[in-house]
Amino acid sequence: MDNSKGVVPVQIRAQRDGQFIFILDPSMPFQMILRYLEKKRKTSNNFFKSAKIILDLGSRPFRIDEVTAIRDMLRRQWGVKIVELRLGHSLDSFFEWASKQIDIPIKQIPVAEFSMEPVVIRHTCRSGTRIEAPVDCIILGDVNPGAEVIAGRDIIVFGVLRGIAHAGAMGNREAKIWALSIEPNQIRIADLVAMPPQDDKHQPKRYEVAQIRDDQIQVLTF
Amino acid sequence: MAGTTIVITSGKGGVGKTTSVANLGTALALRGRSVVLIDADIGLRNLDVVMGLENRIVYNLVDIIEGRCRLEQAMIRDRKLNTLFLIPAAQTREKDAVHPEQMKELCEKLEQNFDYILVDCPAGIERGFRNAVAGAQKAIIVTTPEVSAIRDADRVIGLLEAELMKDINLIINRLNHKMVKRGDMMSTEDICSLLAVPLIGVIPESEEVVISTNRGIPLVHDKRSDIANAFKRIASRLEGEEIPIPTEIPGDSGILSKFKKLIWSS
Repeated sequence: MDNSKGVVPVQIRAQRDGQFIFILDPSMPFQMILRYLEKKRKTSNNFFKSAKIILDLGSRPFRIDEVTAIRDMLRRQWGVKIVELRLGHSLDSFFEWASKQIDIPIKQIPVAEFSMEPVVIRHTCRSGTRIEAPVDCIILGDVNPGAEVIAGRDIIVFGVLRGIAHAGAMGNREAKIWALSIEPNQIRIADLVAMPPQDDKHQPKRYEVAQIRDDQIQVLTF
Repeated sequence: MAGTTIVITSGKGGVGKTTSVANLGTALALRGRSVVLIDADIGLRNLDVVMGLENRIVYNLVDIIEGRCRLEQAMIRDRKLNTLFLIPAAQTREKDAVHPEQMKELCEKLEQNFDYILVDCPAGIERGFRNAVAGAQKAIIVTTPEVSAIRDADRVIGLLEAELMKDINLIINRLNHKMVKRGDMMSTEDICSLLAVPLIGVIPESEEVVISTNRGIPLVHDKRSDIANAFKRIASRLEGEEIPIPTEIPGDSGILSKFKKLIWSS
């Protein structure tokens, strides 16, 4: 039993809404997981009693016997209920089990992601124009004050960005805004809004990138 | 004779559209061209006042369109130049008294007999704007070096481009060179880099404009005025002459300013 290196069979995390997430280690033998949970129950002093728990299998293959075993153990001995089962990364094992249940092979057909291609605008966006792109948006020209560009992911402006740009509009915090010069009255990435500092007279030599760092929008000049 | 219809527009009000139409029209007529000015600002007409022709109005634009008079009856001849005419707007009607199609028809008719038809566009981007733009092949955008006027000009250029207008030029009105030098006003280069349309002229700020407007005599008639010369140069450029636009007024090159430049460049 080698827990000293920080490898825990079950990671327990508390969420803001009061629920707990139990994340199972993918490589750990199942008996170790059960033993770890048993030990945890004894040391936790009924801390988890009547809590709601999300069981996250991570990249561990789905096995019905494992899931039911944990479910029964948590219900009987801990007095807690699993409210959600997360199948993170390997759905194959789940489909394998499901196809055995119905005795018909299941083939998963990925839904074609619609218009993953970027929207390309080949002129300057003047005041009053509003451009919405489901994924990336490339503008070959300036974005003037009064114009709005909204994209699901990144915004790339081959010109000066002076209007409003909202990257990652659906909540993607990884989204970035690229422009030869970023001098807008406002930029937004995901749920964050930023305004440039007053009297900001910078002149980028090549380009600028706006991105989220530490819950803040930062503009880096290159 | 195939004339050209040019719409003078700005989006924002009060930047000098009407003054520009009056002076540009007069400057073109002084060059010997036949010119008609159309006031498309129905309900808020004032081109006739600027031209000093208010008391001669009998028929107006809406009368022509609704067939109450012939085209020639509504055209008022200028007091000084006999190749310059004005079609005034109706003051007691509203913008939707005219349809864009009718306006286009009128412009096409006028193009057969005149060199230039200048349309004074109302402020805004609604029906009045659509009417004024309908028959035009060229557009001149008037803006002042203020952020609000430039924002509106940008919007209007966008709308004109959407209507596939290719020939769009820019007049910067009321530029104060002293303020630009002090850094308190946007410079010609700043405005041009933002709006990205060819500049056809810069009109300096001046009190003379107000005086001439109140008198009802376009400033272009005054031979000594700088403003008059600026408008005359725009008229020449409209006719294809290549005259460079002076970016800075000479003067104020004292020792101190040279010294400042040295500091900045080092």
